[in-house]
Amino acid sequence: MAATPGAPTGGKATGWLDQRTRIGPLLAASLHVRIPMSAKTYYFGGIALFLFGIQAATGTLLALYYKPTPEAAYESVQFITSDVSFGWLIRSVHHWAANLMILFVILHLVRVFMQAAYKYPRELTWVFGSLLLMLTLAFGFTGYLLPWDQLAYWATVVGTEIAGSVPIIGESLLLLLRGGTDVTGDTMTRFFGIHVLVLPIATAGLLVVHLVLVHQLGLANPKRPEPRVTTPEIEKEPQRPFFPHYIIDELMAWYVLLAILVVLASVFPAGLEEQANPLQTPAHTKPEWYYLGVYQLLKVIPWKVIGIMVPIVGVALLVVWPFLDRNPEVVMRRRKIAVGGATVVIVGLIAFTIWGYVS
Amino acid sequence: MEPEVGAGPVTEGGSPAVEGGRPPVEEGDPPAATEDRQTTRRSFLRWLGGLTIVTTAAMVLTPVVGFLIPSKNGASAGGGKVLVGTTADIPAGSGKVVAMGSKPAIVVNTEQGVKAFSAICTHLGCVVAFNDMVGAIQCPCHDGRFNPATGVVVSGPPPAPLPPITVSVEGDQIYLTEA
Repeated sequence: MAATPGAPTGGKATGWLDQRTRIGPLLAASLHVRIPMSAKTYYFGGIALFLFGIQAATGTLLALYYKPTPEAAYESVQFITSDVSFGWLIRSVHHWAANLMILFVILHLVRVFMQAAYKYPRELTWVFGSLLLMLTLAFGFTGYLLPWDQLAYWATVVGTEIAGSVPIIGESLLLLLRGGTDVTGDTMTRFFGIHVLVLPIATAGLLVVHLVLVHQLGLANPKRPEPRVTTPEIEKEPQRPFFPHYIIDELMAWYVLLAILVVLASVFPAGLEEQANPLQTPAHTKPEWYYLGVYQLLKVIPWKVIGIMVPIVGVALLVVWPFLDRNPEVVMRRRKIAVGGATVVIVGLIAFTIWGYVS
Repeated sequence: MEPEVGAGPVTEGGSPAVEGGRPPVEEGDPPAATEDRQTTRRSFLRWLGGLTIVTTAAMVLTPVVGFLIPSKNGASAGGGKVLVGTTADIPAGSGKVVAMGSKPAIVVNTEQGVKAFSAICTHLGCVVAFNDMVGAIQCPCHDGRFNPATGVVVSGPPPAPLPPITVSVEGDQIYLTEA
């Protein structure tokens, strides 16, 4: 447990380090907490965190060779893929980890929603978590342009055009995103800067807040609402140690995911279309799978403004949802409206995504 | 105090469980043999854990280190025969630094004919130039001087002559051939 100064615990190396950092009590306070036996996280949040780490590492490696100018970007990506040792692997792992990170952040959000873990006292944890989802999507959007191939270029043209259609602020937003009226080298350097500096720093900051809140408030019990006053019965509820029990399970999940990542990267390596040509739009330009639902919505709704406002209002509702849902119950069968509404939204999004894919 | 990893399973009541259905130790069993068996099992698991960590680290670090080592293709000068100018560009008694792929070369029109050398000074890597006032190839950094016909060091700190480059004059065109 907590080491006191002058009397370090553990091995020689741990003792040496503890004497010079006094980090023992901090580590003990971070690791030696107990979590409810009934808490089921399915490790989604931890896996998303692991994937963020993978992205930071592979992204840093790619940045050592990548050249963020329209003249050189495409060739530098070709060079990474074909000439640099393990370049294809690093790039493909970055590509797949990006997709899986978005998937697991969404799964984490759905799990937290269904277990009502956003309710008192974890409302702010939810708010920071939903902001992290938005940052993750922004990572996908800004990173997509960087290879400067036809798919990247035209997906960015369409994506920024959609942002430009937002009422009132649309025009300014378009100029801000593109760094001008068109998608050019200015857009690329802007997206690159956002992708490798702004978003990682913002994500790391929000992650720290999110994790501190998770640590301070503990994992939610999906079987009963969080009591405002602790009773002896509640204190007797079965719990298990976070460290090492939960951590070992989490590490095993990470290990399995690493294997899945390497297999995906090897069997389905990241592709590269022809170099971007601003004078020729390729047929069937579609965004990545996580934007397909919104893409299809915009195609089928005849009023463009409504098609754009639906996802914006949806995201705003998502962020403030803990403050709108006044039902204190956490069990799903006692939250018929919230769970039913969320199910309709999820099924609708999946349906629109599949429709967008096959159309 | 939290239970340690590898300390063996503990039942909800806190008493040690029978591991893997193994029967309890009989009174007649020699205690040393039981201890040995437990130590062997634990040390094997530790060894297995350590092996997992080492192999995982190797698996991750191999592509990372491989990725960090620059590809030779990237720094290649291109190779082959390179047209660097005409004899009119470099009249007798003068010299010129030209690009040979990504590296500089110096071409000098001497009494012994047109000669070419690597323009990278053998002292500390500065790019040399022909100084017609002193009639030598000169390094601007530490005043190292080289013979324009042979590339050997005439004076100054350079430890070795300038590496020669094969030069051919076809008509009035000067070509350099990378070795």
